[in-house]
Amino acid sequence: MSYVELKNICKKYKGNDKNSVTDFNLEIEEKEFIAFVGPSGCGKSTTLRMIAGFEDITSGDLLIGGSRMNETAPADRGISMVFQNYALYPHMTVEKNISYGLKNMKVPSAEIQRKVDWAVEILGLEEYRYRKPKNLSGGQRQRVALGRAIVKNQKLFLMDEPLSNLDTKLRVSMRNEISKLHRSLGSTTIYVTHDQVEAMTMADRIVIMKDGVVQQVGKPMELYEHPINKFVAGFIGSPQMNFYDVKVDGEGIVFSDGKKMKLPDAVKGKLQGYDHVVMGIRGEDIKLDSSNMEVYAECRQKAVIDNTEIMGNENNLYFQFGGITSVARVSKYEVSQVGDEIDFVFMPHKMHFFDAKTELAITADV
Amino acid sequence: MVTRKQKRNNWILTIVLLIASLFFLFPVIWMLANSFKPDAAITADMNSLRAFVPPILNGSFLENYITVLTNTNFIRYMCNTLFYAAVLIVLGVVVNGLAGYALAKIKFPFRERWLMIIMLLMIVPMETIITIHFLIVAKLGLLNTVLGYILPMIVNPFNIFLFRQVFVSLPDDVYEAAQLDRCGPLKYFFTMVLPMSKSVVATVSVFTFLNVWNDYLWPSLVFTSGDLLSAQIGLNAITSNDNTTTGQTLAVITMVTIPVIIIYSFFSKQIVEGVISTGSKEG
Amino acid sequence: MKRRKSESLMGMAFFGPALVLLTIFLFLPMVLTLVFSFTDFFALNPKLTHFTGLENYIQIFEDEDFRQAFFNTVKFVIIIVPLQGLGALGLALLIDKVSHCKKYFKVAFFVPVVMSLAVVSTLWIQIYSPEGILNSVLGVMGISAQPFINSASQALPSIAVMSAWQGVGYQMIIFLGGIQAINPALYEAAEMDHATPWQKFRDITLPELKPLCIFVFITITIGAFRMLVQPMVMTGGGPSHSTYTVVYDIYETGTVNWEIGLASTMAIAFAFFVMILTVIQTILTRDKEEKDGNKKTKKK
Repeated sequence: MSYVELKNICKKYKGNDKNSVTDFNLEIEEKEFIAFVGPSGCGKSTTLRMIAGFEDITSGDLLIGGSRMNETAPADRGISMVFQNYALYPHMTVEKNISYGLKNMKVPSAEIQRKVDWAVEILGLEEYRYRKPKNLSGGQRQRVALGRAIVKNQKLFLMDEPLSNLDTKLRVSMRNEISKLHRSLGSTTIYVTHDQVEAMTMADRIVIMKDGVVQQVGKPMELYEHPINKFVAGFIGSPQMNFYDVKVDGEGIVFSDGKKMKLPDAVKGKLQGYDHVVMGIRGEDIKLDSSNMEVYAECRQKAVIDNTEIMGNENNLYFQFGGITSVARVSKYEVSQVGDEIDFVFMPHKMHFFDAKTELAITADV
Repeated sequence: MVTRKQKRNNWILTIVLLIASLFFLFPVIWMLANSFKPDAAITADMNSLRAFVPPILNGSFLENYITVLTNTNFIRYMCNTLFYAAVLIVLGVVVNGLAGYALAKIKFPFRERWLMIIMLLMIVPMETIITIHFLIVAKLGLLNTVLGYILPMIVNPFNIFLFRQVFVSLPDDVYEAAQLDRCGPLKYFFTMVLPMSKSVVATVSVFTFLNVWNDYLWPSLVFTSGDLLSAQIGLNAITSNDNTTTGQTLAVITMVTIPVIIIYSFFSKQIVEGVISTGSKEG
Repeated sequence: MKRRKSESLMGMAFFGPALVLLTIFLFLPMVLTLVFSFTDFFALNPKLTHFTGLENYIQIFEDEDFRQAFFNTVKFVIIIVPLQGLGALGLALLIDKVSHCKKYFKVAFFVPVVMSLAVVSTLWIQIYSPEGILNSVLGVMGISAQPFINSASQALPSIAVMSAWQGVGYQMIIFLGGIQAINPALYEAAEMDHATPWQKFRDITLPELKPLCIFVFITITIGAFRMLVQPMVMTGGGPSHSTYTVVYDIYETGTVNWEIGLASTMAIAFAFFVMILTVIQTILTRDKEEKDGNKKTKKK
């Protein structure tokens, strides 16, 4: 049986005619690491706060460990939470912050001492033990918040954008630490973030949301390789997928700037019955090297580079094609400069097609 | 960058202000200096600069103070007032703080309406209802009692509003974290909200102290006689007695002023902040 | 649903103690004052109370003492407001300019504020006394002795000067806060435009301080209208009623003569007057802000 179950959860705020969260369904297994991801205002934090009990559930059922929790007080739901702004008690030392909840739960003091020692040690907070939050850096504060959450031995961890206040470098290392912590504690974790990289790198499964509605639930690579609609395809992956409005003809597709591209039969088969579709292709599936050029000779195109981003390990090349600014992601050895004319191919079997109206993915087997 | 001329002007300005401040403070200086003198010396010094200089430290220079402290109940009155102030600070912070917290953070019926009413109450001139206060306290049979003095003084719309303004900007997620740590609302108020808002608690406490210590009208009505008098009323009783000499009068008012000066020197930051907040709120 | 209910219960529990006290000591007195103001309630013989309609309201306008008290109060206000307001502004501007002893000046001019009215009044009785220090200082300067609080013509101005002396530090601190809140970039920009110090004062400092000035002057006015303790301690309202104020009249009518009905009427009239002043203040200061806001948005 699943550890956490959300059944038809809806949230509607007073005075708002639209739902903030609509018909949210999800089953979370024990020890799973789930990430809720989506643009701001998509309802991911609201959902988390409903699970925590800080927001009323308008309709639907929330089950944790098999029992309905809709009306249970937050403290009795068996959860611990890490907040976006840390929410540390500003007038208490690190140690007091971590032990406060245990004291209120009437845990024997020897036990508290042991747990605090353990948390302080695994989080590397020994030397800050008697400092107050205002004398700590962002990363250290985040560790204290984590410490406060882990000592309580709760089975469900909720994290609300815990890394969004940290700088990029720190974010990467904290990402690792949280992943490791999750593995060693084995607690079920729900992690809210607007950063798809965090979701991709940390989560077992990702729930991607937009306008209060779940778009797709799946393993990171599933979402990356088989996005269910144009929104998911565009949200996951960086740089963003290139989207072209194309016409379908007998040979293949025609771009809005009139350029034609022949497609292999297998790919063409998917498009039967469509006039207009949206074709999406990721930057790394646009190839400039000669071997690919040979294999996909009939898809070959030309364009002039108008901007480049040198990342070190790889380069992003920007050029006008098919009516939009397209981006190709190439290895660091393929050096091109602004103004160069390049030859490239789209790998046909890596193309994603979306219905122009519904924006849903067009798959061969439908 | 400061030019030499500006520098010189600044020095002149400083000296002018220094002299002005001495003139401004002359009543206080005179009070201090002459509280150590017998009346004969006060009169004798009146026409010279010695009027502003304390006498040399001989055996009798504390005589005015000693006379007042031994012949009257003055110490008792001072202790009374300290006690009233302490009680009112605690009750005032708790009652007004809880109300301010409710208005800032807890959703309850007509909250916005109540806030409006509190703000309107801030402009009611208290002098106009003091007669009725007196009637109510008399009806309750509390005249000349500590309770009768304290009860009407606890709640203060201005302090409620001040607390509310500070509490409203406290982060909500700390309250949520505390909920997960099994900290109930009342415990949260006392162990989290108040410690997180030390500055406003200090400001309200200091102003409550000054209010109670310096209040004249209300204690003069409630305390008709006897041991419960506050320092200000005691002061008036002592100094309006014909047997009290000028030197003794000055000694009494000096002693009444010492506690507020001590409070001011320790909490001048809170006092200045409180004063400025009344200006910036409206201005 | 359940949680919202428990939250409102909690809110009312938190607000409750204050509400009970507010009801007993503010709402109830306010209502009683209003009710009594239409009666001839006499506290020593409450059974003889009648409803008298507007009789009290007519009476207070005919009452010689009340009228004099009102004019005394107005006179006091007219003397003290410019004295204390301009004094505070001047002190604040000077102290802001000074680069040495700033802290000392702030303390020195603030000391009388923390002293109590009773202490200050008692002290100034000595200072104003016919053989007192002020007269001997005047004597040194060749000015003959003045009666101060012992004469009907000088008593009220003497109390006004003393009150201004006591209160000026408070508004000085407010003005200093206001001056320090002015964006220094404004002065730097003016410097670039070759503004003289006087121009900087006239074109930047004064306009920036204008809302604060309105606030301060009206606060002093309201405070001055409420003046009571000084004449109570110093003159008992005399000589020949020259320092008898409105609030003094309310106080004596209510708690000395026990004519609660009449005192309530005076209180209502007085409260009405003070609240009008407060409303004017709110409107004046708020208008200013809104206009400023409009200007800023227009510029964009």
